[in-house]
Amino acid sequence: MTHLGSPEISTAARRARGVLQPWDVRLRGARGYQRIRRAVLTVSVLTVVGTPFLAARFADRSFPAGIFVGATTAARALGVEFLDPLMSAGVLLAGGARPGLLAAALPVLLLVVVLGRFFCGWLCPYLPLLAASNAVRWALGRLGIPTLDVRLPGWVRFAVLGGVLGGTAALGVQLAALVYPPALLARSAYRLAFGFGLGGGAAVVAAVWLFDTTVSRAGFCRSLCPGGALFSLLGARSPVRVRRVASQCTDCTVCDVVCNLGQRPMSDAVGTGCERCGRCVASCPTAALSLSLEGRRR
Amino acid sequence: MNRRGVLALAAGAVSGLLVRRPRAAAAELRPPGALPPGAFERACIGCFRCAEVCPTRAIRFPPGAGLDAGHPFLALRESACVLCMACTEACPTGALARIPAVPERVAAEVRIGVPVLDRKSCLPWSGQGVCRLCAYVCPVGARAVELVGPQQAPLFHAEGCVGCGLCEEACPEEARAVRIAPATGGGRA
Repeated sequence: MTHLGSPEISTAARRARGVLQPWDVRLRGARGYQRIRRAVLTVSVLTVVGTPFLAARFADRSFPAGIFVGATTAARALGVEFLDPLMSAGVLLAGGARPGLLAAALPVLLLVVVLGRFFCGWLCPYLPLLAASNAVRWALGRLGIPTLDVRLPGWVRFAVLGGVLGGTAALGVQLAALVYPPALLARSAYRLAFGFGLGGGAAVVAAVWLFDTTVSRAGFCRSLCPGGALFSLLGARSPVRVRRVASQCTDCTVCDVVCNLGQRPMSDAVGTGCERCGRCVASCPTAALSLSLEGRRR
Repeated sequence: MNRRGVLALAAGAVSGLLVRRPRAAAAELRPPGALPPGAFERACIGCFRCAEVCPTRAIRFPPGAGLDAGHPFLALRESACVLCMACTEACPTGALARIPAVPERVAAEVRIGVPVLDRKSCLPWSGQGVCRLCAYVCPVGARAVELVGPQQAPLFHAEGCVGCGLCEEACPEEARAVRIAPATGGGRA
């Protein structure tokens, strides 16, 4: 398959024939940004999966707990607490809040307000599984086995978030711990490291993965993940946005196609669902897109 | 977020609030410092940090995916709690209240469960022999277990016991007479 050398012709033509797929898109631009993002993601995944295995090897558990303990949902790194806003919101709504919760919640909250839904593209331990899901979709497509790509309406994720938080308040049990893939993956990694088997949480993650693979590309992330929905809400005013220079844009659609979360940079329709992964910027053959800081403007 | 999003959030929240609470599950042994049943479940986010720092692997999680899947419990029969209090220090939400690893504070504040002795299985009580293992290993001593009578049989005092499970772990395999049971009525003696 040829690369997208002359996007005006080949990609538009492919699009017209309905064959332009995410895997046709090469990420050639914004290499520095992508390199940093991948490095951060690698560190995140290693802390989630790796530190329990290290902890299990040190009988007194002093290492690596002194440096890092927990996972993305509730980490303590070098003495600083990082509590996922979905978790702090759940504890707050269930009436389980203690002094100190706010201090633990604040660092991530500030990051989300400034950077929007960046967690999903930079830190989420489910991302490697999503990449695998997309690879399987590609392989199935190659084999001629069709995969669905159902697009749920935009309000669904907010309904799910409301249901999870409302259910948490009603039941007095933190539901996010039971349905939120970052929490489930981290607990499964810990269970495996300590010799207790994967546990039921892994089955939930497997169901999510099968949904993404067979029913809707990144559909859980896009439309069902309560964390993603909350980050979208909290980061709605984020000044970090994808900007398009219309005069350089050739309407080749690769940016729309490469986006996992259904954003449409080519039509300047990038909303709160944007995870700031910069893949659209990197995919643009004419460098018409950039991530930039903007003032108060929507 | 547009108006439809706000409506969806509200609708989701309302439908979530309508969920009926299942009948209270059987009480579990929680790690030291745990808030009373109910309050603990409201505050615990299932992050497993308590278990990750537990040196004896006494802190476990249920294997399933049900409502309790994120709640740590103690498997004292397999390994006792050594009262290092690392779990209370690791908890990010205060579901485990912080207790310093000072013997007096531990003895006064830790109430994991209460000791239950089956005198028919206990070697001295049943006249099968001398034992005293539970009293030897007990970190709080006579406050929790006294040796009484000519047989030096153990007499447990629930109000002084921290519930660490060292006695349960030490109790001879053929007897298995003492176990730590969840305290009824809120935990604090």
